[in-house]
Amino acid sequence: MTNSEKYHNAFVTALEVTPAQAPDLVYGKSNAWDSVGHMTLIAALEDAFDIMMEMDDIIDLSSFEKGKEILRKYDVEI
Amino acid sequence: MLLAGKNALITGAARGIGAAMVEAFAAEGANVWALARSQSDAFENALGDMETRYGVWLKPLYADLTDPAAVTAAIRLAMADKLPLDILVNNAGIMAADKPFQLTAIAEMESIFRVNFFGAMQLTQLATRWMARKGRGAVINLASIAGQNGGSRLDYSASKAAIISATKTLARELAPQGIRVNALAPGFIQTDMTQALGDKVTQDTLARTLLGRIGKTHEVAAVAAFLASDRAAYVTAQVWNVDGGML
Repeated sequence: MTNSEKYHNAFVTALEVTPAQAPDLVYGKSNAWDSVGHMTLIAALEDAFDIMMEMDDIIDLSSFEKGKEILRKYDVEI
Repeated sequence: MLLAGKNALITGAARGIGAAMVEAFAAEGANVWALARSQSDAFENALGDMETRYGVWLKPLYADLTDPAAVTAAIRLAMADKLPLDILVNNAGIMAADKPFQLTAIAEMESIFRVNFFGAMQLTQLATRWMARKGRGAVINLASIAGQNGGSRLDYSASKAAIISATKTLARELAPQGIRVNALAPGFIQTDMTQALGDKVTQDTLARTLLGRIGKTHEVAAVAAFLASDRAAYVTAQVWNVDGGML
């Protein structure tokens, strides 16, 4: 599985959305991505890429696209 | 056994109530990451002895809770074992000699809060993210009766009051993730920390204790083991006093 597929899957699984919905997601703009869903998503991303995210990055991860940028700090290229 | 197969992280594990908790949890079948402030052969030897006695693994971790980077590094090390975390016990705490509020520098108060409150909260943030992956977990915070009734030193009792408040708020916030959060409020327990308080404080406290004696560390640890276990699966947001009946 590519990093892109792992990343996409993390959103789909953690936030219980369809694959088509995932790329448009923004934190707080849908019922799927609330604060509880956010922490589930972080756990899914940490598991998928074997990383431990810093608190500032957890707070900054506010959209599908922003997440890709943040993961680069952890040497994960999506 | 109450905790067979569970994995726990206990802070302040080298002595006092924390050391008793490591032993009580191991005796009940739990594996433990035992976090202490600094490396010690005596500590590691004690863990090794208990591993043999109880047939579990007990791994030392080291971090000064006033150092956020060290706390994060310790959690990273534990997570590298690729095992779930079922239980966090925020036991580590410091107390200082009695001193009137008006003679206590704000910096001294901050140092008490840095360990007793902020250190515990940082660990809880990291540990509950770990627990949430499995959708279950139990956090036990060590408060104190001083956090309920006030104490002889404001910063210590206020830090424990903060722990009690945090316990209830965290219980509310983490329940959807399957994580229970409770606190224990020990009374006068026989430890190095309480011994330093002196005879007068001891006698005054005993006069208000129905059972008429100082508590033992293993008596606090036994309640913690129960609260951490699945037998307490419907208990959250509670503060349980282990104080011999202090009225």
